[in-house]
Amino acid sequence: MAANVHDAAPVAHHFNNLQQQHDAIRLGIWLFLVTEVLFFGGAMCAYTAYRIWFPKEFEAGSAALNVGIASVNTFLLLASSLTVTLAVRACYDGQQKLVQFWLGVTIILGSLFLALKAREYYLDFEEGLVPSRKLVSPQQSSMIGEGAALAAPKYAFVQSLERALHHAGYPTEGVDLFRVQLFFMFYYILTGLHVIHMLVGIGLLGWQFFLAKFGFFRYPARYIYIEVLSVYWHFVDMVWIFLLPLLYLAGPHHFGQVISGLQQAFGLSQ
Amino acid sequence: MNKTIPELDYTPQMVPYPEPTPAEDKNRVHYLNVSDTVWSWLFTLDHKRIGILYLVSVSIFFVFGGIAAALVRTNLLTPTGAILELDQYNKAFTAHGTIMLFLFLIPVIPGVLGNFFVPMMIGAKDMAFPKLNLLSWYVYMAGAMFFVWQLFVGGLDTGWTLYPPYTSQYSHTNVLYAGLGIFITGFSSILTAVNIIATVHKMRCPGMTWSRLPLFVWAMYATSLIQLLGTPVLAVTVLMLATERLFGIGIFDPTLEGDPLLFQHLFWFYSHPAVYIMILPGFGVISEVIPCFSRKNIFGYHAIAWASVGIAVVGFLVWGHHMYIAGQGFYLGMVFSTLTMLVAVPSAIKVFNWVATMYRGSIHFAPPMSFAIAFLFLFTIGGLTGLHLGVLGTDIHLHDTYFVVAHFHFVMVGGMLVAWLAGLHYYWPKMTGRMYNTFWANVAAIVVCVGFFLTFAPQFILGYNGMPRRYPHYPEEFQILNILSTAGASIQAIGFTMPAIYLLGSLVFGRPAGNNPWHATGLEWQVPSPPPPHNFEQIPIVYYPPYEYSIPNGLKHVVIHSLNGNGVHSSDITPKHQEVTSGS
Repeated sequence: MAANVHDAAPVAHHFNNLQQQHDAIRLGIWLFLVTEVLFFGGAMCAYTAYRIWFPKEFEAGSAALNVGIASVNTFLLLASSLTVTLAVRACYDGQQKLVQFWLGVTIILGSLFLALKAREYYLDFEEGLVPSRKLVSPQQSSMIGEGAALAAPKYAFVQSLERALHHAGYPTEGVDLFRVQLFFMFYYILTGLHVIHMLVGIGLLGWQFFLAKFGFFRYPARYIYIEVLSVYWHFVDMVWIFLLPLLYLAGPHHFGQVISGLQQAFGLSQ
Repeated sequence: MNKTIPELDYTPQMVPYPEPTPAEDKNRVHYLNVSDTVWSWLFTLDHKRIGILYLVSVSIFFVFGGIAAALVRTNLLTPTGAILELDQYNKAFTAHGTIMLFLFLIPVIPGVLGNFFVPMMIGAKDMAFPKLNLLSWYVYMAGAMFFVWQLFVGGLDTGWTLYPPYTSQYSHTNVLYAGLGIFITGFSSILTAVNIIATVHKMRCPGMTWSRLPLFVWAMYATSLIQLLGTPVLAVTVLMLATERLFGIGIFDPTLEGDPLLFQHLFWFYSHPAVYIMILPGFGVISEVIPCFSRKNIFGYHAIAWASVGIAVVGFLVWGHHMYIAGQGFYLGMVFSTLTMLVAVPSAIKVFNWVATMYRGSIHFAPPMSFAIAFLFLFTIGGLTGLHLGVLGTDIHLHDTYFVVAHFHFVMVGGMLVAWLAGLHYYWPKMTGRMYNTFWANVAAIVVCVGFFLTFAPQFILGYNGMPRRYPHYPEEFQILNILSTAGASIQAIGFTMPAIYLLGSLVFGRPAGNNPWHATGLEWQVPSPPPPHNFEQIPIVYYPPYEYSIPNGLKHVVIHSLNGNGVHSSDITPKHQEVTSGS
């Protein structure tokens, strides 16, 4: 098996030489990333329009998010960018074992990110921070609502958001809580797309991890594949660098929330 | 100071490929007969075979879209609707729009002629990413299946633009399937675009400099740029639209003070450039056909090449002219109106250059040329009426009337579809190795042109008089013009059926076309027809610009050299006569 991998011709039939093949592949991935920039750009453009129209609602939505998990995830993802670069470096130096090692570390860091993200989604879901038109009955809402709100049926989302904002110490005066759903739609769309990109990236990293076991990524013949995937991975990382301020830092947060968010994530609260 | 111009040596160093004798031709291995299992077609990585796959599939969807158009036109025969219920009418014109745009006009020339000829024109053995190329066809077919599926489970009634109040959670038709179809076919065109740009940048043969690229390649390059930058925006917009159907909470939902107009902005940010995705490849084909059958160098090569790129760039700045009366700001409308005037300039440059190429040329009325002349005539009308719609003042009167319908059909059908037929007739002998019946092809060109004009010219009058588009009913006094229009559509149907008959017939009865039946320049004509599996057995070297029809013995000016060793990258070689310009 290993011998076959070494002997396979690295230059495809339609290229004249390795240099041309590598140039084409490199250009291809950058063109693909241009597409990706526009893909996220479209959603961020809509986000920007709405944030300009409804700044208060977007602040409130952001205040209800868990910044603790987001901070740790940012560190995880930045670290994974470093490790994938070290894999590229190792491949460049021809150290196959090291390539595999750093790919493995990258996969672990990426998976940790996803695990925490899943935990965060679960907590959001548990808190009821999911856009919907579901109503809660007056009896249920009376536990939180006061005065005139007692009789009228209330949206489940509004009730959950009130609770979450109260918990975060964010004043809800002058905020149309129902409209905060717009923010949460963007939150789920943007982070969801990012998660899908991460899943694809981890899948491909896993495939390269498997191939690296057989010493597949010889320099210079197959170095390009490591480089191309690392470029993609950096891009996914970059997207998160944009999502963090757009979603999590749009509202006011203080350092205590990072700690309490993490306590909540690991079930240590109260 | 006198610039010394090097003496040009027009003696061919090597005759490209000798015409094969009939006996040789029978035994020759080419891309069609290299293997003949179904498997070898479905899993081919050969860009030529993928082009044929696209040809078959887009032709099928063209028939689908045509049937829907026939339903619409038949229904409009009488003022109260001849055959369809109201909702059926909505579904018919939506099916016509979505299928023709997403499954026919956008992929047709990039998918068929682009795949087939871009690598051959630049002297490459294949696209840069053959597997991606095959994937793009599968992705296209997967997306198309969603369109077909939604047709069979009840159709879609929103119009091809999918505007949110129609596509909100209150819509009863298959918005999700259609949205998924658009999303997926979008990826197909992104993959093709990545492939073509990488191919043009990295796969050119030695001597194929940027100013020697055939104009078709320039057009495909500009098209790919738009696909690359526009399509993802549509994809994410459709995704945001889908959330409303999936979760009941919409980003463009007015009850949350979401803004349906924002959808229109994002939609047209793609869909206006998308009309250039549709027409630019047509421009490319016409730029190939006209110099060939005028036997003249192209007039203003650089102007045409940069006009393509100019259209691609400026095309991204004019989307707002679809929304003059949709509620966007008045001053925004004025800006977009001005920018729209700007995008007319490169298109006009092209038309003038084509006409100047024909001027005092020795014009041959071969079928591709007949279609190209029909294109010039019809596209010019389509382009000029576009100005009426681009100007803010007149558009307020003409918006969403049949004037708009007539305008974009003049561009899309009179321009793009006729250019596609020109390209198909031009390249058919190269693709199949067979020559069709040129007499009937010329007749078809005339029938299509006449039928088309009769269909859509009355619609300008209808629209100017105020008949709104997408309405199944209209006042009695519009009936005569509508009948004329439907009559024209029937003639068009005959015109589109004729090529299907004689082109398919040529596969059986056609005489062998020979390497270069049109005596054209260009690398793709220097190899036998149909081309060998890897296009070029030796790496070609290009010494001249692409349309050197004025060179004596011009047929033989492209020199194909044998290179020893691993080959040479295009940037490594400076051919001897790089100074040669296209001026005669």
